[in-house]
Amino acid sequence: MTTRYAVWRLLQVLPTCAGILLVGFLLIHAAPGDPVLALAGDGGDEAYYERVRNKFGLDQPLVVQLGTYVANVIRGDLGTSYTSGRPALDVVFERVPATLLLTATALALSTFLGLAAGIAAAARPHGARDALISATSLGLYATPVFLVGQLMMLLFALRMGWFPVQGMTTARENYTGLTHVADVAHHLVLPVIALAAQEIAAVARLTRSGLLDELGRDHVRTARAKGAGEVRVMVKHALRRAMLPVVTLVGGRVGQLVAGTIVVEAVFSWPGVGGLMVSSVQARDTPIVLALFFVIAMTVVLANLLTDLAYRWLDPRVRYG
Amino acid sequence: MSKRRGFSLLVVVSIVIAASCSSDESSTGDAVQSTSVATTTTTAPVTAVTDAPATTDTPSTTGPPPTSEAPAATDAPTTTEAVREPGGTLVAAISSDPGGLNPAITTSGGTHTASELMFNGLVELDANGEPQPELAESWEIGDEGATYTFTLREGVTWHDGEPFTSADVVYTFTEVLTKLHSRTAASVGSNITSIEAADARTVVFRFKQPYAPLLQQLDVTEAPILPAHIFEGSDPLENPANSAPIGTGPFQFVSYTPDSEVRLERNANYFKDGLPLLDEVVLRVIKDASSRVAALENGEVDWLFDVPGPDLERLSNDDAYDTLPTLINPGGSNCIMTVSFNLERPIFADQRVREAVASALDRDQFLERVIFGQGRVAAAPIASGIGFAHADDIQLPQFDRAAAAALLEDAGWVSDGDGTRISQGVEGLEDGTSLAFDFVHFPTFAAYGELFRAQLAEVGMEVTLTPLEPPVFAEKVFTERAFDTNIISYCNGQDPEIGVRRMYDSARIGSVPFSNAAAYRNDEVDALFAEAAATIDAEQRTELYRQIQEQVVADLPYFWIVETESTRLFTADCEGFGPSGHFAETASCS
Amino acid sequence: MADVPVPELTGRPAHHQSWTAVLARPAGAIGAFLVLVVVVGGIIGPWVAPNDPFSVDGPSLAKPSLSFPMGTDALGRDAFSGVLHGLRTTLFVAGGVAAIVVVVGMSVGLAAGYRAGWLDQVLMRSTEFVQVLPRFFLAIVVIAMFGPGLRQLVLVLGLSSWPLLARVVRAETLSLREREFIEAARADGSSPLRIILRELLPNVVPSAVVVVGLLVAQVMLIEASLGFLGLGDPNVVSLGSLASEGQDFIRVAWWLAFFPGLAIVVAVLGLNLLADAVTGSLGGGR
Repeated sequence: MTTRYAVWRLLQVLPTCAGILLVGFLLIHAAPGDPVLALAGDGGDEAYYERVRNKFGLDQPLVVQLGTYVANVIRGDLGTSYTSGRPALDVVFERVPATLLLTATALALSTFLGLAAGIAAAARPHGARDALISATSLGLYATPVFLVGQLMMLLFALRMGWFPVQGMTTARENYTGLTHVADVAHHLVLPVIALAAQEIAAVARLTRSGLLDELGRDHVRTARAKGAGEVRVMVKHALRRAMLPVVTLVGGRVGQLVAGTIVVEAVFSWPGVGGLMVSSVQARDTPIVLALFFVIAMTVVLANLLTDLAYRWLDPRVRYG
Repeated sequence: MSKRRGFSLLVVVSIVIAASCSSDESSTGDAVQSTSVATTTTTAPVTAVTDAPATTDTPSTTGPPPTSEAPAATDAPTTTEAVREPGGTLVAAISSDPGGLNPAITTSGGTHTASELMFNGLVELDANGEPQPELAESWEIGDEGATYTFTLREGVTWHDGEPFTSADVVYTFTEVLTKLHSRTAASVGSNITSIEAADARTVVFRFKQPYAPLLQQLDVTEAPILPAHIFEGSDPLENPANSAPIGTGPFQFVSYTPDSEVRLERNANYFKDGLPLLDEVVLRVIKDASSRVAALENGEVDWLFDVPGPDLERLSNDDAYDTLPTLINPGGSNCIMTVSFNLERPIFADQRVREAVASALDRDQFLERVIFGQGRVAAAPIASGIGFAHADDIQLPQFDRAAAAALLEDAGWVSDGDGTRISQGVEGLEDGTSLAFDFVHFPTFAAYGELFRAQLAEVGMEVTLTPLEPPVFAEKVFTERAFDTNIISYCNGQDPEIGVRRMYDSARIGSVPFSNAAAYRNDEVDALFAEAAATIDAEQRTELYRQIQEQVVADLPYFWIVETESTRLFTADCEGFGPSGHFAETASCS
Repeated sequence: MADVPVPELTGRPAHHQSWTAVLARPAGAIGAFLVLVVVVGGIIGPWVAPNDPFSVDGPSLAKPSLSFPMGTDALGRDAFSGVLHGLRTTLFVAGGVAAIVVVVGMSVGLAAGYRAGWLDQVLMRSTEFVQVLPRFFLAIVVIAMFGPGLRQLVLVLGLSSWPLLARVVRAETLSLREREFIEAARADGSSPLRIILRELLPNVVPSAVVVVGLLVAQVMLIEASLGFLGLGDPNVVSLGSLASEGQDFIRVAWWLAFFPGLAIVVAVLGLNLLADAVTGSLGGGR
């Protein structure tokens, strides 16, 4: 991967970010009623609205307002949450670690398990194992995240008692150090599986079809003819290329995964951004909702950037254009 | 396969990162600070501390309510006589993020549930609603009920070690409670002339005229006392102590992680001997009701403030759990789920339409299917828990669909067959307007709305549900008055002056949240309330409140659906709970 | 979001895809049956539903029985009628989104693929941009600002879901553009519009059908999730909000959460199976 490509790709992120800001700005102005409501939330008093109007220059032409808005955002000022009286971004970042933990773990797990299941299915296409994996992944892919979560809670937490039903830590204890890590990991199991299930299915389906494609190609046939072992053929010759679409998929699905996280957090009372998002929508605390949107959109952009770079690393032949 | 190792490494690393982040948060405890909204910037009448000389207010002891001097040690509870071991941790599930932890600046149930254990009132109310000494050791009532003199307990300290004095009481009442606590501001705030400290241990309250209900309004729910040395000179809504409070209560603040938990530990210097017994109380936020029950069953929490009916039925016969039914909630007591009609809207300006709505509602169904029998159908505008004021023989509109339909026809709302009725000659509305209106409610009260919509559809009214979180609800209903009907849990408190008057007093129309939502004006009712507040004689008060109830039932600015009772459900490993905000003060867990 | 596995379809001369080939596959037959059940249920459901989904018609929390095939909820409302009306809502959202996606995605894809050059550049950069927008959260922002409502939901999901279709259509068009039959049409002096509509469009339809099917399945899941979180319109029955209300009673009345969930699974599964079968019969299957 050339440095030039990396730099060029990084520069490309800028217009995307600008576009995301523009979308937010346009929504604020398209919303019914005074834009100050969308900027400041629905529960402020007149004096507060007046301050917000001045801050965002709402009496200026739209273009000037856009400039002011962007300048504020660049300074990290996404407005003040009226329910808590604090800067929206601070409130959001407080909850990010818990959500990040859940999402990142699910992403890693689903990539790993999805690849494994896909390889297992592709190793003996149309066998019993393939049929089982394909049917399961099709079913999981069609099941809403909340249903998977509820079923798992009923089965593994309430029936079996293996896992807690809520939260990220054991409330009764003040664990520190390694026991704290183990405690969090124990709480993480069910939410992560619920979240990863659909993703595993998607990755498995794609890996399987990608591998089957590759295994039918000439260079793989040649390797086989030369007497290379089946595993070696699979890993060395087919997997690398078969992973390309998988990588694209994982990057592109980050947004969807975060969406799933919101739902899983609601099912398992996980203290991440989900609860904040839902209560902020119901309280019409728009600064928080917009701040969350920006943070998540930027995360998706970042994930896409990383995906592109990884793609490039996996397959140096790819040229942009 | 090195990939495998890479992935598991990533998992472990991310766990460690998040784990260390979260423990940081809880150790510094600076997670959230909350100040509530424009809704709390109310305009309660200013209560001046007068400079009258202290010698003039020698109290006479002729006032009817008895002077109580019961020693503190005896007001220990109730459920068991056995000697209980100190120690242990109690995990209580709470249904919403508290947002802030200052109970004096808001009546929000979420805040009160999470914070009352850290504070005290001048008195506490026993199981019969009678005041017992808490921060006040004793009191005397003079001027036929217009002057109250409190002697404060000695040797009480704040959680930071500073001594508690009369200055704290004066500051809290004059600067905070009578301005920001909506119920206390409306009741005490509008009647008081002065609150002053005679000396470090004596506080004198003076009222314009005899004011009977004061003692019922001095508990930790209605009047928690804040430390003046922390708050003085600051904006009480913006003080950092709102998220890391200093109180005098049985438990002191350890940490607050938003949307997750509040941790409290034993106050070793608590002024009630031998209390509290528990080492730790953790209030865990679990928003979903079924998850709270599941967490109890899975042993993750010990105490639930309320339980959905079907689950209660399932678990109350189980030996592993105990129950405690109560009318008292941290947010208030004796609560009635009440439908308000916006009298400023043309549809509801007509008394016949309001009566039609009332007649179309099958309140037994609300009792059975929304609260699953946990409460009772409201029999009068004032809750049955306030025995002396509740007029139990009053006649409320009864469920009768035919009568409702007839009333609507009569009021000019004609039916065109099956669907929604339309207007024909209704004042202020064009002919042909549909009988459609909105019903604004907290998201947690959705089931009331669903049943309201279903029952009114049967008589040709079309209801649109608008769920709003409390702060926006308050704004929409009380400031903008942009609603047709709504439902509010109006907590009556221990005296009608606390939680009833605010609903009907025409002076209480406006932006103060949870006051006169209907915008009801009746001079006679205003006068009766004023007279009742100033009347000391119990029988006379009963009669005055009876007249008030007759009048408001005739006018029907509201309709009273059900009185709610909640049942605490807790693990049998724990015992000694009280129902009030100090529920864990006397509890212990094995 | 490039979040569905896209079938890799290579250009081939125009021919009419036979639905019998799709239905001959087990996946196609089952998928078509499930989709049919959902579509018919959603369309005629409100007329055949025994009750108004909002009205109280039976006892509280009644088990599934002959009179209430999916039981009743706490208020005594018929869950079966709720699911039928919920399907209608799901179909409305899915159909609306599909319409927007088809119009925008096809136009962008065909125009970019056929024209190439600067138009292609502009359209593809816009496509990439819209593709990164997290749809679910965009929908939440719109709900927060405009209030919950099906119309704004359809608009926001439709206007943010088309990029995948545009990319697939563009790729197809690019590979078809230089084929003989197109060249021939061009030589005949056909106008570009005519070539696009008469020659290109029929050839991209099969792969477009697959993509739209998969997108619609996702939209159904998104709509259900929003309802589950309590962000849907409380005055419209949706499968997600039914499932969410059911969660409160999951220990005492499993049917309340189960049937709405099942309806979503059936709809999404049906669409996926059908899409698989179409892909398979196009030669992508193995």
